[in-house]
Amino acid sequence: MTYDVYMHFPVIAIMTFFVGAFIVTLCGSKEKIRNVVAGLAVLIPLTLLALLIKPVMVDGEIIVYWMGNWEPVEGYAIGIAIEVDALSLFFGLLVAIAVALSGFYSFQYIRQDDARGSYFTLYLMLSGGVMGIVLSGDLFNIYVMLEVMTFAAVGLTAFRTWNPNAREAAFKYLTVGSVGSTCALLGIALVYAQCHTLNLAQISAILPDNMTPTMVLAFALLFAGFGCKSFMFPFHPLAADAHGAAPSSVSVLISGVFTKTGVYGIIRVCYFLFRTMGNEAVQVLLIVIGCISMFVCVTMALNQHDFKRLLAFHSISQIGYILTSLGLCTALGVAGGLYHAINHTLFKGLLFLTAGSVLYATGTTYLEKLGGLARKMPKTTILFLVGAFSISGIPPFNGFYSKWMIYQATFEKSAETGNIFYALVTVVCVVTSVMTLASFVKVGHSVFFGQLRPELEGAKDPPLGMRVPMWIMAALCAFSGLFPNIMLDYVIVPAVNAVYNVIPYIDTAMGADYAATHLTSYMPLMNGQLSVIGAWSPLSWLLLFAIALAAVLLVSLLGRSNRSVTCVEDSKHAVFFGGEQAEYSHAAGGDLFWGFKHNLRHYLGYMSRVHTGVTNDYMVWALTALAVIIAYCFAFI
Amino acid sequence: MEFTDILIYAVYILIFPGALFTCLFGLWLAGVDRKVVARMQKRKGPPISQPAWDFLKLCGKETVIPAHAARGVYLAAPYIGLASLIVTVLFIPLGGLQAFSTGADTVVILYLLTIPTLAMIFGGSASGSPFAGVGASRTMVSIMAYELPFILVILAVGKGMTPDGYYFTFSLEQITNVQSVFGPNIFDWRLLPAAVAMLLVIPCEVGQHPFDVGEAETEICEGPLVEYSGKPLAVFKLSHAIKMFVMTALFCALFLGGITTGMLWLDVVLALCFCTAVTLVSMTLLNAISARWRVEQLFKFFWTVVSGLALASLLLVWFC
Repeated sequence: MTYDVYMHFPVIAIMTFFVGAFIVTLCGSKEKIRNVVAGLAVLIPLTLLALLIKPVMVDGEIIVYWMGNWEPVEGYAIGIAIEVDALSLFFGLLVAIAVALSGFYSFQYIRQDDARGSYFTLYLMLSGGVMGIVLSGDLFNIYVMLEVMTFAAVGLTAFRTWNPNAREAAFKYLTVGSVGSTCALLGIALVYAQCHTLNLAQISAILPDNMTPTMVLAFALLFAGFGCKSFMFPFHPLAADAHGAAPSSVSVLISGVFTKTGVYGIIRVCYFLFRTMGNEAVQVLLIVIGCISMFVCVTMALNQHDFKRLLAFHSISQIGYILTSLGLCTALGVAGGLYHAINHTLFKGLLFLTAGSVLYATGTTYLEKLGGLARKMPKTTILFLVGAFSISGIPPFNGFYSKWMIYQATFEKSAETGNIFYALVTVVCVVTSVMTLASFVKVGHSVFFGQLRPELEGAKDPPLGMRVPMWIMAALCAFSGLFPNIMLDYVIVPAVNAVYNVIPYIDTAMGADYAATHLTSYMPLMNGQLSVIGAWSPLSWLLLFAIALAAVLLVSLLGRSNRSVTCVEDSKHAVFFGGEQAEYSHAAGGDLFWGFKHNLRHYLGYMSRVHTGVTNDYMVWALTALAVIIAYCFAFI
Repeated sequence: MEFTDILIYAVYILIFPGALFTCLFGLWLAGVDRKVVARMQKRKGPPISQPAWDFLKLCGKETVIPAHAARGVYLAAPYIGLASLIVTVLFIPLGGLQAFSTGADTVVILYLLTIPTLAMIFGGSASGSPFAGVGASRTMVSIMAYELPFILVILAVGKGMTPDGYYFTFSLEQITNVQSVFGPNIFDWRLLPAAVAMLLVIPCEVGQHPFDVGEAETEICEGPLVEYSGKPLAVFKLSHAIKMFVMTALFCALFLGGITTGMLWLDVVLALCFCTAVTLVSMTLLNAISARWRVEQLFKFFWTVVSGLALASLLLVWFC
């Protein structure tokens, strides 16, 4: 394949989603045709982007596609560009995988809903918007796609209109989310006024040497705008409502993909456009926001009683990890952040899909109303455990590898700077991780283990069409945990290199030496070498574990088999109740972790009180955050 | 890889310091612990081989699976926990013997150590007993309690000073090597609070009295283990004994490493003696003199006093 062929792939990938969205509408009520169209519309972009791995990731090419062939004239980019470097492709792949798997899951999942036609229209619009953002090389185009994405997501959040929570969540999302969009638009307008261009590559060349106070304001606005899209603290309450109320297959997109566009935007703004990442104040800003998001949201998650709301808070907590790691501005930090981004998409997608399966089978996701599903839904239970172990960082699953990289990156940063602050960030990350584990123990115990509720006797595993996407996600979780070297070589390191060296990104779009003439004070922001200060080889662990397990099982089986075979309802096989009559008493949900909650009762109580659920309050938070970020940027940049 | 290499690795994994030796030494440590506690309480106490006999006895008993249990997880949990513990032992340098110590570092071991506990939590939770539910919840709280001081200890030990300047590491191999040049960390006054914190983390991680809130026999009938019987219970008891060995070996690697006599076998014997000594100091002594703590006391103690000690060490290492 030559450049002439694959240069069209990115634009086709974006177009497929939008064209698919309209064709789906034309299908009317013909379910089969609609599913075929939607299936093709999600598979084609995935295939096209997978084909780009070889040229972009391995060979390091950068694809520039000028819409309508409007190429730069006299050093000014007047047309709209689609520019795909390794970073864009990284996020593009992540989007394509999540969209494809969740799309196939939805065929079965939304069968009980009405308005299935508009579901896929909105779904494909959302996917197209996200894909447009990450592949675009034009700032205003990013804004347009941001709006497409946001409104599609709002529509999908309110998809189950019979559910008042869904309507409320969509309204909150619309109002507070518009703060983010407005900030982004204002920032873009200021950048355009200053640079007279909207092309990302050209701005990256012009802007860093011209940091006027107006540009500081623009930076703060863009930062807050994309931060709002990534639902970082204090924009996080929106996510909780939206993820919780939307259908699970949409939650996968909102949590796994939508938030990543915010992360992508922050990377582009901080590392490319303004190149302010070298400034320690910006690093500290990102790290502090990341750590607060991480800790506040994980403690909020421990307080939740709804499976999906709990997952929603965990999304933001994991976004906190990503932001913290990106804020370190070291090669290992960026690599860890990007690795965690892809892992988060995989395991959080898996967890949302298992939550969807529980909802599909039982009609509720309320922790106190579930229990003992492992006996009725064994396959879902295994999938849930894979997701839970991945997110809580149990080796050898993928969440552990990226968290481990983040711990090393933070500790290494403290070694470089001699600043104990970064070592304490490591501590926050580890404590958050163990609380994540705790809240998934809570979910596992409340939903899948313990006594089976009598009213759940009829629950059963979801149909094959829903299980296969989940298995694929689980397999990817295991793969990216067990073969980190493949992931690093083919996906992560090229993206890190793209962040490390922005010159090719500028020169490919604007012509050779454009960067050298305009970006005179260019210095790489970080050391480009990935160095690790620890050791972890998941494969050798797995091998040793397999041998040890085989040995243990062999010895165990050699002995006399003395298992009581019959499993009947007699007192011998009944659960021990201290001699009392057996009754249904499932200690679960809010009953768990009393010792922990008792000690932190003031903090947890305060957190519950301030998360009022009132849109006005969250609006105040958003505006306060905006004001603080602007003031901070003016004070320290 | 040649045949002899494979043979050597097989011995490492299956016999020494792997599966067989780990089990035997763990059971021996548990026996010593019980004996010494008994003597401290002016009892005669069981013979040191008692935990081993208990293990064999349990293996011969009938395995009852509760009617409400999720059978797969219920039966698999103990074996997965035991196997992952044995693997964790292989990653910890014992004396000068570093069988697989390049496979994992201190942070990885911190995480690997949660797997056996997690196996117990999910196994208990799968049994369907409300006692087990309460036990699982309490065990999880104790994990949250000890993890904070544990990571602070790891960071404090991970930052040290050589004449060439500072070093930052998570690698157990490097920590051992540095100690063999500059003497064991325990003789570094700045790391003394961290060592004390670690001595307190050990019984909590092992689930030893007085920090055994999750298995409190008199309150919640051994929590997660309430429904277990026969072989799975035997395996859980064995895992508990092995954890004593793993944690003390980790303490020796972090604070008592690098003591070499020149002969490998003597180093290993010395390390095992240190393990026993640490068991007596950190677990037996507390076990004998203290009553079981309540779960909220335990959490508070670990997040204030023990973490405070570890943090003090970190600050001292940083600024002194």
